[in-house]
Amino acid sequence: MSTLLEVSGVSVTFDGFRAINNLSFQIGAAELRAVIGPNGAGKTTFMDIVTGKTRPDEGRVLWGEKSVSLLGLNEAQIAREGVGRKFQRPTVFEDQTVADNLMVALKKDRGPLAVLLFRPTPEDHTRVEELASEIGLSDHLQTQAGILSHGQKQWLEIGMLLAQEPRLLLVDEPAAGMTGPERDHTTELLKEAAKTRAVVVVEHDMDFVRKLNCKVTVLHEGSVLAEGSLDHVTSNQEVIDVYLGR
Amino acid sequence: MGNLIKTNRSVPIVLALLAGFALLVTVLSEAYGSGGLSVSLTKTLGMTVCLCIIALSMDMVWGYSGILSLGHFAFFALGGYMIGMWLMYARTEDVIAASLAQGQLPATPAELNDAIAVQIFGVVGGDSFPWMWAFSHSLVAQLALVVLVPGILAFVFGWLAFRSRVTGVYLSILTQAMTLALSLYLFQNDTGLRGNNGLSGLQNIPGAEAIPQSQISIWFLWASIAALALAYVFAAWVMSGKFGNVIRGIRDDEARVRFLGYSVEGYKLFVFVVSAIMAGVAGALYYPQAGIINPDELAPIASIYLAVWVAIGGRGRLYGAVIGAAVVSLLSTWFTGGRAPDINLGFYTIQWVDWWTVLLGLGFVLVTLFAPKGLGGLVDLMTRKGEAK
Repeated sequence: MSTLLEVSGVSVTFDGFRAINNLSFQIGAAELRAVIGPNGAGKTTFMDIVTGKTRPDEGRVLWGEKSVSLLGLNEAQIAREGVGRKFQRPTVFEDQTVADNLMVALKKDRGPLAVLLFRPTPEDHTRVEELASEIGLSDHLQTQAGILSHGQKQWLEIGMLLAQEPRLLLVDEPAAGMTGPERDHTTELLKEAAKTRAVVVVEHDMDFVRKLNCKVTVLHEGSVLAEGSLDHVTSNQEVIDVYLGR
Repeated sequence: MGNLIKTNRSVPIVLALLAGFALLVTVLSEAYGSGGLSVSLTKTLGMTVCLCIIALSMDMVWGYSGILSLGHFAFFALGGYMIGMWLMYARTEDVIAASLAQGQLPATPAELNDAIAVQIFGVVGGDSFPWMWAFSHSLVAQLALVVLVPGILAFVFGWLAFRSRVTGVYLSILTQAMTLALSLYLFQNDTGLRGNNGLSGLQNIPGAEAIPQSQISIWFLWASIAALALAYVFAAWVMSGKFGNVIRGIRDDEARVRFLGYSVEGYKLFVFVVSAIMAGVAGALYYPQAGIINPDELAPIASIYLAVWVAIGGRGRLYGAVIGAAVVSLLSTWFTGGRAPDINLGFYTIQWVDWWTVLLGLGFVLVTLFAPKGLGGLVDLMTRKGEAK
């Protein structure tokens, strides 16, 4: 299996606190992966590094077949390379309709002039409708995103990420605050997405991780503690000590 | 265009209102109509229209992009200075050439040039042209500078500020510092723009000495209305499509836009520069009507007033900015122009010249508390009711 993202030997320190400590991580081109770990294990910082929000003190972050280093790129450039990021708190443009939110996210030229002259084609509208039906918001295309429910906003944000057509999707606690049926829908969305791209899900909720039914990476104090199937890592004594036992 | 009207229904209404306004002032003007409208009132109206243009540009930057610029009058005044240089040079040249023609020998170009320089810069002890007047003899060049100088200043300032991710109140303070620094610099006599004297006599249009001000004033009013109409259509076009969605996205959640792959800095810079150019053009139309420009015009308070107009009018809606600028600046003229009757309370007389700012402050607080979307928000409310869901 070809490697899409390779993080190796990465460390980052905030005011003396070592948030990420010699972390190495790999993910293939079409793979679903869950990243778990206690608070402060460095899950969000890991995402910040991959998406360019935080610069590591040392280490490498290599991307794609040509092994491009992501460290020299800014957030927008990394996003254009094909890395999509879902925030923990649902982050959509509340002031705009669901259709507008999706239209802005569609993979198109991102330059100011191209966007200024942009007029949506019928194909673009079709694509937006397809995405809306995928995330279950077909009936809400003209709804202001701000009045959607919490779960619907989470889906809209996932839809926006899919519209971006990323090769790697980083998803931070997508199931937080969702009801049972909403979680099931979210699970389906992520599993479906992972058929054609890499999806990394950071999650606290073990039930949700079990439903994802994928390889699991356990982080602890900024580095990988264990990796493998959920049953494999949950039977690991170290993992039980630092995380599950509490 | 059809699409623009569909997404922004205020465009045809505003254009129709502006056309009606142009017709009304023409019918009432001294030059072409009944004469009910005095020249000074015509000029006041024309200047108010220019203030509506800079309010539009402020709304693009603040209301839509979320960048609270407190230095936009710097761009406005620079536009005014650029056109003022040509007006002053060409007008002085006419006067000097006429007086030298009285002499026995025709003046050489060098003598003429020196005489103009002494005439313009004598007041600050100068007798030659500073470098920045190099193109002042050319109307075309100075018109280009009306666009270029504010545009380049905004580009350099914006590039430095946005690239360093300066946002929020820190950016506001920086813009404030920019206009204050520029103002203090221009106050010095040796900076080349006549220090605190500024440029004056700008109402005298070179080559149009025979045309009365009653006529010139109405021409400028027309030009200002046309410029406002153009600016309105342009702003509505920019903000109506996907660009507007990205811009409002940046205002509401900058990080989300960035992680979608948009270069947030590039977009901010684009809007900032475009709005600075709009402000510069507005200034170039304003100061020939005002007749004089001096560094006081760049004082930070002017730009703060601009933010107040837009806030009272309702930011994030273009007609809000226009309403706010028109209503507040006209009221301001009325109250501070000595027309408003003073109120005698017996023990104290309320003189509006002094108390107007108090009234404005009170109005600002009331709008913020009871109509957070501004006067433009009230218009929204009325039109929504009309639609009756």
